[in-house]
Amino acid sequence: MKALEFHRNIPRFAAARLAGSVTPGGGAGVGPLKLADIDQPAPPGSDWVRVRPRLAGICGSDLATVNGRSARYFEPLVSFPFIPGHEVVGDLDDDTRVVLEPVLGCVSRNITPTCAPCGDGHLGNCEHVTFGDLEPGIQTGSCHDTGGGWSTAFWAHSSQLHTVPDDLSDEAAVIVEPAACGVHAALMANVPEDGTVVVLGSGTLGLLTLAALRAHTNPRTILATARYPEQRHMAATLGADMVAAPDEVRRAVRRMTGSRAVSQAGTQPRSHTHAGSVDRLSGGADVVIDCVGSADSLTDAMAITRPRGRIVLVGMPATVSLELTPLWHRELELVGAYTYGTELLADGTSARTFDLAFDLVRRFDLGNLVSATYPLDRYQDAIQHASSAGGRGAVKIAFDLRDEKERYRQ
Amino acid sequence: MATTPLTLRIARLRSMVGRLGFPWRAAPIPPGVEPPQPTRQLKAEYDTAWARRYPARVVRASLVETVMRFVMSVVASPSREGTDRLSTVDGPVIFVANHHSHADTPLLLTSIPEPWRHRVVVGAAADYFFATRLGSALVALLINAIPIERTKVGRRSANLAADLLDDGWSVLIFPEGGRSPDGWGQPFRGGAAYLAIRCNVPVVPVHIAGTDRILRKGHLLPSRSSTTVTFGDPLLATEGEHARGFASRLEAAVAALGDEAANDWWQARQRAHAGTSPGLTGPDIGAWRRVWALGDRGRRSRRRRVLWPEL
Amino acid sequence: MSNGRHLAPRPGFVLDVDKNSPPIVFHHGEGFRLEKLPAGRSRVIYPAEPLEGLPDPDGAIRHALLNPIGDSDPLPALLRPNMKLTIAFDDISLPLPPMRRPDIRQRVIEAVLDIAAEAGVDDVHLIAALALHRRMTEDELRHAVGDRVYDAFAPKGLLYNHDAEDPDGMVVLGETPHGEAVQFNKRAAESDLVIYVNINLVAMDGGHKSTATGLTGYTSLRHNHNVHTMLNSTSFMDRDKSALHASNWRMGKVLRDAGVKIFQIETTVNNDTFGREGPLSMLQKREWEWSGRDRASFLAMQQGLKVMPTNLKRKAFSTWLAPYEMTSVQAGEVEAVHEVTTANVYRQHLVPVEGQTDILTMGLPYICPYNVNSIMNPILVMCLGLGYFFNLYRGRPLVREGGVVIISHPTPWEFNPVHHPSYIDFFEEVLADTTDPGEIEKKYEKRFAEDEWYIHLYRNSYAYHGVHPFYMWYWGAHALSHVGRVIIVGGDTRAVRRLGFQPASTLADALEMAGDVVGPQPTITHLKNPPLLMADVT
Repeated sequence: MKALEFHRNIPRFAAARLAGSVTPGGGAGVGPLKLADIDQPAPPGSDWVRVRPRLAGICGSDLATVNGRSARYFEPLVSFPFIPGHEVVGDLDDDTRVVLEPVLGCVSRNITPTCAPCGDGHLGNCEHVTFGDLEPGIQTGSCHDTGGGWSTAFWAHSSQLHTVPDDLSDEAAVIVEPAACGVHAALMANVPEDGTVVVLGSGTLGLLTLAALRAHTNPRTILATARYPEQRHMAATLGADMVAAPDEVRRAVRRMTGSRAVSQAGTQPRSHTHAGSVDRLSGGADVVIDCVGSADSLTDAMAITRPRGRIVLVGMPATVSLELTPLWHRELELVGAYTYGTELLADGTSARTFDLAFDLVRRFDLGNLVSATYPLDRYQDAIQHASSAGGRGAVKIAFDLRDEKERYRQ
Repeated sequence: MATTPLTLRIARLRSMVGRLGFPWRAAPIPPGVEPPQPTRQLKAEYDTAWARRYPARVVRASLVETVMRFVMSVVASPSREGTDRLSTVDGPVIFVANHHSHADTPLLLTSIPEPWRHRVVVGAAADYFFATRLGSALVALLINAIPIERTKVGRRSANLAADLLDDGWSVLIFPEGGRSPDGWGQPFRGGAAYLAIRCNVPVVPVHIAGTDRILRKGHLLPSRSSTTVTFGDPLLATEGEHARGFASRLEAAVAALGDEAANDWWQARQRAHAGTSPGLTGPDIGAWRRVWALGDRGRRSRRRRVLWPEL
Repeated sequence: MSNGRHLAPRPGFVLDVDKNSPPIVFHHGEGFRLEKLPAGRSRVIYPAEPLEGLPDPDGAIRHALLNPIGDSDPLPALLRPNMKLTIAFDDISLPLPPMRRPDIRQRVIEAVLDIAAEAGVDDVHLIAALALHRRMTEDELRHAVGDRVYDAFAPKGLLYNHDAEDPDGMVVLGETPHGEAVQFNKRAAESDLVIYVNINLVAMDGGHKSTATGLTGYTSLRHNHNVHTMLNSTSFMDRDKSALHASNWRMGKVLRDAGVKIFQIETTVNNDTFGREGPLSMLQKREWEWSGRDRASFLAMQQGLKVMPTNLKRKAFSTWLAPYEMTSVQAGEVEAVHEVTTANVYRQHLVPVEGQTDILTMGLPYICPYNVNSIMNPILVMCLGLGYFFNLYRGRPLVREGGVVIISHPTPWEFNPVHHPSYIDFFEEVLADTTDPGEIEKKYEKRFAEDEWYIHLYRNSYAYHGVHPFYMWYWGAHALSHVGRVIIVGGDTRAVRRLGFQPASTLADALEMAGDVVGPQPTITHLKNPPLLMADVT
């Protein structure tokens, strides 16, 4: 079968990092990612079924891995060589369309008794993450035994599969997994009724979180930051009340909340000790959801959250250097939001995040977020397009495997 | 023949010169003849016209701008106020100022703004400054002085000053007639007022504060102190005003300027209109109390140095 | 001061451009451009040469104070001990550019205070009547009133800036018959006499506007600083046709009826902006009358400006002080005084012009009333061009209805965060949404006017009030409703588009773009301003 394999190769990793810092997506050409023709691996167990991907999305975490930017934190949690790709809609052998829930928990790893988080349905918090019958791998797409979406076939545990209703297109189905991340983030944020929310970043994750906020929470105002005009338009369509450029976010939040501002007066001449520049707010928004995960976005987040407010970190950060004094001084909460699991809704019921994601995709017609698809052969173009998606007016880039001759071979 | 020693040669030369007669040497006065007294050409009669010719003016201007200015800024740290009041005046004026020390004149010469700066003559006391030829020449060159009598201005000085004013020279006069003996001022005499009325020029009152601590009367070396020069609005003699009346008006104006320099302009104006400006001449009381009261007016007094107690 | 030294000043005139005309000097912010206007269908309006100032300004001021105009006693008769006296004076927005020392306000205030001292008045307050403008800094106050007055009053807190948002410092004195609330500075309202010291730079200033606008606050200003009033002020430089002034006159009457006694002192200046001699004097001369030295000096200046960084250029231009001379001073009752003042303003400024043209071009200088010692941001470019310069006419606008206005200014996307914080938000949020003055007024004005942070900065820092950018936009409302298109030459393209105008890189391009609106071969008028002029269009 045809697959994009990611090998453990330190020099190539470094080359990828270098190339990736020069051109967006440059790591795809020189890095450890290679298009290979390999034998289909053996199934990891009896509950495992073969899935042939139709569309496989490229996620920000995949890009970080390919471009050599992923944190070293994940090294013990992956097994090389692996095939990336965890946002997948594919066919079973009986041609049923399914969407993959890639997180590997105790059940997939055949561990009994399951750990407490897995029992509660929070597979992302599994405590047995590197144990069991499988090699280490937090999800399909970073585990050697399972394979991944960027290929013509892989193995999935029966618990990982969700049937796709007929009225949803493939594009809509491939958005379900990232939408689940957005739903989880939005619900993790615990937005107060009639509160103010800021979403930093209008890439895929930011837009989906925005949609989820509109669907499941009831704030007074939602402000989104968007760097590019197409992103601004999409953010406004998906429910942002105000859209601002990233370097204008502090002033915009000040206007939105009507709070006072504090300026770094240190460089002002004596007679101008109270300047009009907004460096941080004395009040701020109730919740800020950071879908970017850089030092700048986190600093912005701390500057615009009100004291005792909450910052939800959804975008995967690497090592960032931050001044944490505002966090301490303003008694802020900084929480991480990772993937999905089971959500507790406001009315007391609980639901699988993926089910909520299906509803969200249907409600907002989120299949439109798939901007372009590429065959596996053109993976370098695909990676490059995904890395510079915002500037090129795109949101989600995916691999289209429906035309691969390989997938029809038995 | 041995070479003649030097002393013998000098002696021979001297005897040879001694035998020279008129016209090599002055002729002796015949007995019974009264030779006429030579015109001394000193004091009030000293002719200062050479000091106003171009070469002397160049020398003086360069000295004022370089040496005098530098010395003043070091010794006197002057601050100059009120020069904007002169913006509407054209042509020669008479500057009148209060007088405390010899430092007043160089301070004023470096403070007066253009276009009067290098076209000022200073009225200096004839008997004090023009006593010797060398002294007269120095004071004429350095400060462009003309001799003026202290008590009553004589005809010669008055005509000279009037001619200079008509020629476009401005005149700086200290109407008190001399430096203050005890730190307080003396009443203004009428010379400046008389000149102003005669030549119909405006009078600019100037107040100088702080020079009394620089070169006090009786002291020789200067000590450092900060000074303030305050220029006032130009005054013109009114129709039919006499010199005496104008002079007391000038004195009041300079006193008001002193009030302005020591306190602020608004209080000074209020007191000037009410006639209660602190006068230049100080309170009409005994000598020690006058010195005592003088201390009130100055800046903060020097702190007494505390000596270690003798154990 | 200098009388009879110059030839008699010539009046302004209109030059018809032909093939032999030289290129015209256009102001372009901190710099200049030489533009050739198309021959045969362009004309340039040149300002009058500066009139001679009064030879004895202090004497003239004193004479005016002792011989008032209108129903008023001479000033000494109005002053007595134990009275409350308030002296209000125009703020940093006048004159433009700031003038050399001694400022006219210094002369007038010292003369007034001298008479007050003679009368034995003790309780005197001096207030910079700045309405919702920014507070003046210590240096600016010193420059305006002089060091003597500043040192005598400011340390005791008796010389200060008007604070329109001080709840304890403002009082509402009544309402005009049109329902306009009249809010006034409390100290001035409770004084026995208010003396206003005015500099009438243009015909818009002075009269009841001095007090009814200068010493008031938002509660009053919203009644006449709004789109409806500005659309009906054609123009606000012509008092008889100005709804803005009609409102101020109504408010002045309410002030009078409420017992506020005002002794108005108004002065006019000539338009000697750049000096008759000196490094910038060629900007006041007609191009064909430039001497060899002028031309060399101009070329050297252009070269120097080309290599200077922007902030140095701004610093260099902001140090220029105009050698204005006072051409008239009158004191007494407000309306009578203002008639004389207006006649004197027209004497210097009016240039007769026949007819309108399709296009009006103007080169904007580096300074407007609201960016003294600051940055001219895009909103101020619109206000200066479409507000002030467009309205410098009497009779009819210089450009026909539906015509095109072409402005030359670098229009940088730059704001001074200390002086203009609310402008930044206005540009980011409001103009991104809409540029229609009526829409802007309806949706956004109230929020900006009542925002606590802007009020805090207005009262404690040196910031214009939160609502001020709106007034800048309304100032151009009449022009926006009259012309078909606005093009800015040499401006930052993004900023120009945000303003709702079209960017062009050269005048030739702009004229071509204008052709889409006004047709081929349009007629052009260039307003060569500053030095100030006002067109009398027949």
